[in-house]
Amino acid sequence: MNVVAKPKLARNIGSYLLLTVLALVVLAPFFIGLWTSFLPTMQIAKGNFLSTDLSFQNYIDAFTQTPILHYLGNSLVISTVTMFAQLLFCSMSAYAFVFLDFKYKRSLFVLVLATMMLPFEAEIIPNFSTVKAMGLLNSYSVMIIPFLTSAFGIFMLRQSFKQMPAELKEAADIEGLGHLQFYWKIVMPYNRIPLITLGAYSFLGAWNQYLWPMLTTFSNSFRPVQNGLRQLQSEETFNDWGMIQATAAIVVIPTLIVLFVGQHYFKSGANEGAVK
Amino acid sequence: MLKSPASGSSTAPINQAETKAKIEASEKDFSLNAKDKYYALLFLGPSLLILGVFIFYPMFKTLYLSLFLTNTVGKPTVFVGLSNYINLLTSADYLNSLAVTMVYVLAVTALTIALGLLLASLASKKLAGIGIFRTLFSSTMGVSVSVAAIFWLFIFNPSTGFLSLVSTWLHLPMIGWLTDPMWAMVAVIITTVWMNLGFTFLILFGAIQSVPTTLYEAASIEGASSRFQFFHITIPSISPTLFFVSIVTLIDGFKSFGLIDLMTKGGPTNATNMLVYRIYKDAFYSGNFAQASAESLILTVIIALFTLLQFKVLEKRVNY
Amino acid sequence: MMGKIGLFLKNHLIPIIAVVVVAIGVVFVNASHGETNAKAGRTPIVFWHEMGGPAEQALDKMVDNFNKSQNKYEVIPQYEGAYDEAVQKIIQSHGTSVSPALFQSFDISTAQMMHSKYTTPVQKFIDEDHYDTSDISPVARSFYSNKGQQLAMPFNTSQPVLYYNATLLKKYGITPPSKSPSYSEITRVAKELYAKSHHKVKGMTMEIYGWLLEEALANDKTKLINNGDGHQGNPTKINVNNPNTVKFLKWIRTNIKSGDFVNYGSGASAETNEIAAFLAGKLGIFVQSSAYIGQLTTGNKNKLGISYFPHPDGTKANGVGIGGAALWISNDKPEKVQKGAFEFIKYAESAKNQANWQVATGYLALNKKSQKEKALQDLYKKIPAARVPGEQLASAKPNNANSGILMEGMQLTRELEETAMETVYNGGNIDSALTAANKAMNANLLTTNKADGR
Repeated sequence: MNVVAKPKLARNIGSYLLLTVLALVVLAPFFIGLWTSFLPTMQIAKGNFLSTDLSFQNYIDAFTQTPILHYLGNSLVISTVTMFAQLLFCSMSAYAFVFLDFKYKRSLFVLVLATMMLPFEAEIIPNFSTVKAMGLLNSYSVMIIPFLTSAFGIFMLRQSFKQMPAELKEAADIEGLGHLQFYWKIVMPYNRIPLITLGAYSFLGAWNQYLWPMLTTFSNSFRPVQNGLRQLQSEETFNDWGMIQATAAIVVIPTLIVLFVGQHYFKSGANEGAVK
Repeated sequence: MLKSPASGSSTAPINQAETKAKIEASEKDFSLNAKDKYYALLFLGPSLLILGVFIFYPMFKTLYLSLFLTNTVGKPTVFVGLSNYINLLTSADYLNSLAVTMVYVLAVTALTIALGLLLASLASKKLAGIGIFRTLFSSTMGVSVSVAAIFWLFIFNPSTGFLSLVSTWLHLPMIGWLTDPMWAMVAVIITTVWMNLGFTFLILFGAIQSVPTTLYEAASIEGASSRFQFFHITIPSISPTLFFVSIVTLIDGFKSFGLIDLMTKGGPTNATNMLVYRIYKDAFYSGNFAQASAESLILTVIIALFTLLQFKVLEKRVNY
Repeated sequence: MMGKIGLFLKNHLIPIIAVVVVAIGVVFVNASHGETNAKAGRTPIVFWHEMGGPAEQALDKMVDNFNKSQNKYEVIPQYEGAYDEAVQKIIQSHGTSVSPALFQSFDISTAQMMHSKYTTPVQKFIDEDHYDTSDISPVARSFYSNKGQQLAMPFNTSQPVLYYNATLLKKYGITPPSKSPSYSEITRVAKELYAKSHHKVKGMTMEIYGWLLEEALANDKTKLINNGDGHQGNPTKINVNNPNTVKFLKWIRTNIKSGDFVNYGSGASAETNEIAAFLAGKLGIFVQSSAYIGQLTTGNKNKLGISYFPHPDGTKANGVGIGGAALWISNDKPEKVQKGAFEFIKYAESAKNQANWQVATGYLALNKKSQKEKALQDLYKKIPAARVPGEQLASAKPNNANSGILMEGMQLTRELEETAMETVYNGGNIDSALTAANKAMNANLLTTNKADGR
């Protein structure tokens, strides 16, 4: 907003004040969580919130007494594999819808779109039976296989592929490139940005899965971090708030760092009109 | 906020969906080849298989299960027709779940949009150091459901929590944040809005940034106040994005599960017993798989309606 | 926006990949954390349990000692969350490679486990091994048996008791409650404590927990369901809206109205919060499982007082039923594995292990001979109040009203009890809350019986 401000200084001070107050409100839960993660649980229980008895003990306890690192690792494995699988299968499907000609193409596409209306949350009962019959319970696969592809990903990539200049395909035909080569050597590199976007998206989606892993994992060997935190919270019946806050901090700090490091991309990105 | 796209959600980056959908009209076929159908099988097969097994088949299976009663181990035994649905839609308990879900979804959507808009319009001001605020406002994007729940559970904790300390300091009456039905709902709404805020802010901020500055310049020359500009230029210009974000927030609200599970377990007095949590509880606590299947189908209908609405608006956008 | 994330990822691709690779590496290095696979030559016995906190530590130690005591089997304990959520996990995973060979399941799931036919009654192994069960508490054993056949072995058994902060009562010169207190007695103490502490200490709480409501009925010699609380046949009718439930809820309502009562809600968090408040000296009285004695005595500077579960004025206490859980053996594992599971059960029931278990957790030692163990003797010397739960158990004459409720769908029933309690705690009408609960409970029972063909 390029507003010509009249009493500029006064107005700006007001704006800064408002911005600061709002930022504090938004950040308060982080501050409170981080602060208590450095306090001994004894002090928290007594309500000595301003105690200066700060230490890393809660973090040491979290790393040594809980499988938090293992949970994080599980999530990383699941999210990474899901991401690559979705990139592959979504791009292949999108390719078929854009560059191939076959019967029922239109109907199949509508069918794929229709799956976006069906929430996975409402299908957990039969899906549980399915993965049980497949012998997948309590494994990484059970959290990956149902999400190998996504209707949303197919839709998004199809839109990108359609924007490719027609000359590229013509040139490829003259060069004698087959579909596999054209897909892998031209289409995929050309659509790097939407692919990376989808990748980020599916990674975060898998990272935030909650209900499905809760139903299908039974041991810490495979439990992802969202459910791991739930597990720790219910297991630690002794109200060890300091350590619980430390585990939450361990999980959230890496994502926050990525967000802060990437801040100028978001800032300038918005200017370029990435979001309209 | 960033739910799995795989879970059927359509939290599409609006830009992609909208701008690129415009091309859709000019349907062009790159090649016509007899061999294509084999390639189509190869390229499309895996995705269709997964979608078929984990999205389509379960829908029919859910419908089937919802017409039976299920026994101790969850197997269908007695065919009862639509009576599971009739029981649900006449039970005060289920109607309560529908009602609280509606309250939650509407409150979350309204507050998320209002606050997101406030933050986005403030962050659009040309001020020194504004970039820092933009980063800070988007920071809740990095928070996953379990972390958000832990942070806020401590804040709301009745004996040692932050708010209870603050009310002790200020000699305010204690609020039973998670034990009083009304306040528990408020607590869950606050937490959800906080979680949603980062993402909503970013999208709305981007939309505001893309409003042509010439519009504002012209308005300023005419002497329009900034409030007038906000309501008569900014809001109309970004209304498609606003609509889109609202629907996405709405649909995500209907699918809320993690926060409920971590913070209130549907209580107190079922005050936060929302649709997905109910399905989980009826099936995987009480073992009533038939009733949970009927509930699943009702949820599907609700979400499908909103998704269709979203598609319709997308289509319109494509046409003009 | 997403495009920007994409751009960011693109420009930082190499560092990001490096982080991912390192992190995945950490997982595999760290892979031994949490669970271990059975050592070579040993039969693995996956054991699902629901013990959190200090009880989990004690259980892990017991398992570890068992594994060291022999070299044929390796018990692998896995924590599965709360009792309620474990039941369906057990049933729904049955018949797969990940299902447990041995599992702990709580009292009210007994009928469900029995009807599922997914377990091998431990009676089979008792007979085969000529294992003498006479030392194990008969009250607890009968809870998990049907028609003279032992279905599962009682493991962690608790009694609901009333805890009070004896030091605080002394400080304010309040006469502590008697050994078997009445409702009005507790109200008196709670009110005095609240008044004399100038409202700094809340008098009492009672968790919104169906178990406590059921125990109040048991103590008042009232059966919740027909056919002798299910012991004499399949239940067909539930009656929660009875005068004695009303008496119990009215008692709580009195305390809520006078301000000395604090509501911590329901579920595990409620228990954590009431204990935290009690230990911090902000709460004087609460009623809870004896299993918390362990937590309440470690690091508690105040003297812990324990009395029996309160009873209504003008009636004699009927005695309460037990709470807790039993160990079951799944029938989807080979004979050898099932035998190993039973070996562990025998180990867990031994006099020494039961004594240590009570000292560590507060669950009652089920083996009669445990009372002679030094560990338990030392505990009683140090904390005389720790005797109270055992005495309460011994004082009760078993009858149908206080031997637990044998009905499938108890979880749902309990939830409805809790909803009714919540309504009342939050100021709702007692009669209408109970009427609604009663209606829903009976509708569920009807459906369950129909679905199961009974």
